[in-house]
Amino acid sequence: MAEIKTSYLIAIFIIIIIIVGIAAYYAGQSTAPTKTVTVPQSTTPTGTTPTTIPQKEQLIIFHWWTAGGEKQAIEKLFELYKQKYPSIEIVANPIPGGGGVNLKAVLMSRLAAGIPPDTFQSLSGAELKTYVDAGYLQSVDDIWKSTGLEDHVPPLLKKVSYFYGHYYGVPISVHRANWLWYNKKIFDQLGLKPPTTVPELLEVCKTIKEKMPNVYPIALGMREKWEIVFILDGLLLYYGGPEYYQKFYTGQLDLSNANDVEPLKKALETLKEMIDNGYIYPYSASLTWDQSVGLVAQGKAAMVFMGDFALGYFLANGYKPGVDFDGVPFPQKPTEVFLMIVDEFTLPKGAPHEDAAKKWLELLADPQAEFEFTKIKGSIAPRLDAPTNYPDKYRQENVKFYKEHPELVIPMSAHGVLAPLAFLRDYYDVMAQFVTNPNVDQTITELENTFAKDMVKEQSKWYWSS
Amino acid sequence: MKASFKYAIIFLSPLFFILGILYFMTFWTIYISFTDWVGMKPNYSLAGLKWYEYMLSSEKFWVSLKNNILWLLVFIAPTAVLGLLIAYVLELYIVRGESVYRAIFLYPTALSFVVTGTLWAWIYDPANGVLNSILSALGFDTSKLGWICDPNIAIYCLIAAAIWQYTGFAIVLFQSALRGGYLKNIIEAALVDGASGWKLLRYIIIPNIRSAFVIVAALLAIFSLKVFDLVYVMTQGGPGISTYVLAFYMYMTTFWQQMVSLGAAISVVIFSLSMIIIIPYSYYALKRWLLR
Repeated sequence: MAEIKTSYLIAIFIIIIIIVGIAAYYAGQSTAPTKTVTVPQSTTPTGTTPTTIPQKEQLIIFHWWTAGGEKQAIEKLFELYKQKYPSIEIVANPIPGGGGVNLKAVLMSRLAAGIPPDTFQSLSGAELKTYVDAGYLQSVDDIWKSTGLEDHVPPLLKKVSYFYGHYYGVPISVHRANWLWYNKKIFDQLGLKPPTTVPELLEVCKTIKEKMPNVYPIALGMREKWEIVFILDGLLLYYGGPEYYQKFYTGQLDLSNANDVEPLKKALETLKEMIDNGYIYPYSASLTWDQSVGLVAQGKAAMVFMGDFALGYFLANGYKPGVDFDGVPFPQKPTEVFLMIVDEFTLPKGAPHEDAAKKWLELLADPQAEFEFTKIKGSIAPRLDAPTNYPDKYRQENVKFYKEHPELVIPMSAHGVLAPLAFLRDYYDVMAQFVTNPNVDQTITELENTFAKDMVKEQSKWYWSS
Repeated sequence: MKASFKYAIIFLSPLFFILGILYFMTFWTIYISFTDWVGMKPNYSLAGLKWYEYMLSSEKFWVSLKNNILWLLVFIAPTAVLGLLIAYVLELYIVRGESVYRAIFLYPTALSFVVTGTLWAWIYDPANGVLNSILSALGFDTSKLGWICDPNIAIYCLIAAAIWQYTGFAIVLFQSALRGGYLKNIIEAALVDGASGWKLLRYIIIPNIRSAFVIVAALLAIFSLKVFDLVYVMTQGGPGISTYVLAFYMYMTTFWQQMVSLGAAISVVIFSLSMIIIIPYSYYALKRWLLR
């Protein structure tokens, strides 16, 4: 009996050793570069090892630009980086099956486990703040200062990268959210001018509804729900203006106060009017944002509220700007603004190749690199001194406004730039309910509760502290 | 006997390992639900019932719970009945090509939920979808038929897609029960005695495949409680919040809103509901096993 026992124990022991060995081999493979880089860093002062061990430094980078033109855009940046630093190997998204939420979940667990990449992508503002609050990021003040970024971006773009007295991200791309895209052929046929205010918008909707009953005046695809915010934001900016807009999304308003609630109420009433009159595509729940842009392209709907990323959809599907479709910033009165969505890259604490990461961030702050990247990406460069010769008139208009009115470049509510993430999801759901059942008073009460429950005011203190 | 005990320990050790992880994660989740973890960084300071109160005051929680109960009520019975009927017809009336039909019926079960969801979202699309196109070609007025865009019926549309996907699974389980040795003999005897189709089903088959019913019902019930993929792909909880289910609500709170403790609290509710189903089932299964 004892013999059987020991032989089995030995067998199990051997199996465990084999498994551990294999695991260690693979683990060693993936961590080996990290070790070889950190060793010479510590031994450099003695001046012995660096010459004997040939080094291949790496840049481990997490980003979610894996689709369509975005992929080409980030590869352009990689190319520029390699030209400058040929000895550094770029390891992008070393997680199989990455992309989007998946990538974020992996990133979250890696940061919590203390094995961060060298740099990763984040939206500026509230989303970036979640990493800062968790203590995962190093400040990048030196890059902002040495590259002159600090003096060459609009004030509020600085603000959405700046927390507790330090910069925590380097912006690379700026999208504009408040565009109204329309089908040029329908507008020409009916002799309509693109609306720039809410009354004009309602007037245009009415005309289209009367003269072309088969065309939906406004397309909406809100399967992912955030899309409705693009309509509401246009209305809020018209009735409340930029100051009100920023206060609303940072919980600074008292919605039980008649003055504070007035613009919101008007915006919701207008939205209700648009829904009740059948101006908005009724089956929005089944469409994604790009499908709703498709409705306009195909002439099934006349207009769509969507950021400048809609341009990419039109162009990719062969529609011609100024012939098949066109766009205007909305609203243009009382104050035209530039609602920005900004992508940034960061420097995590304990980044294995900090030096390579800093070089990367310095590249991002370079005006020419920003231009080359954004030209492909479909956005514009964050720096005010970057080149401006974008190939299409929409981005030229964006750049013009961006440079002439940097003080009117304000953060977009959705996508976690201005409002906190915990609130956003609840907010989208409240607004999605509004679309199925437009009850203004009930929605205001619900919004008030949501602001309180998700502590928007407390979470947004960063935005109002100078 | 001593040696066999030793063997048992050796061969069961992987099972203990897996169970260890399972129980550890379960208790870990329960613990997290009482902490105050919001945001990227773990926060293990205890917050009592704070997140349970938050959950109970949330409309989305009650809508999700109601929808999960709807899934239990509307999904299980049709799937099981349909599965039994088709299995019965396949087994007794289809002589030729039975395996071909079985493969056809089983095919949807083999599909990924993402595929099913995309497919059915397209079928249900009110403007360009298959369903409304067919109906309008037949002369019906489809302008009022919103399917998954109508908050009142969207959840039933999702359930119908799930029934389509899971019927094949029920068929296979029932067919295997019908092929059990002694039942096959009884059926043959009854057929020789001239039992008609309905009587055969009612008095011979149904009483004798009770255990298959229990298995099918339990598995479908567990599926109903953890349904997530179809909702995520087809509606994301919309229109409004009308198709929210607990698993989707949990996912959104944990990974989207980063309210990890709230997500854990919702998980505890899903876990408790599963226990209500699993404990009687295990009791039944264990009793049968011991009686053998």
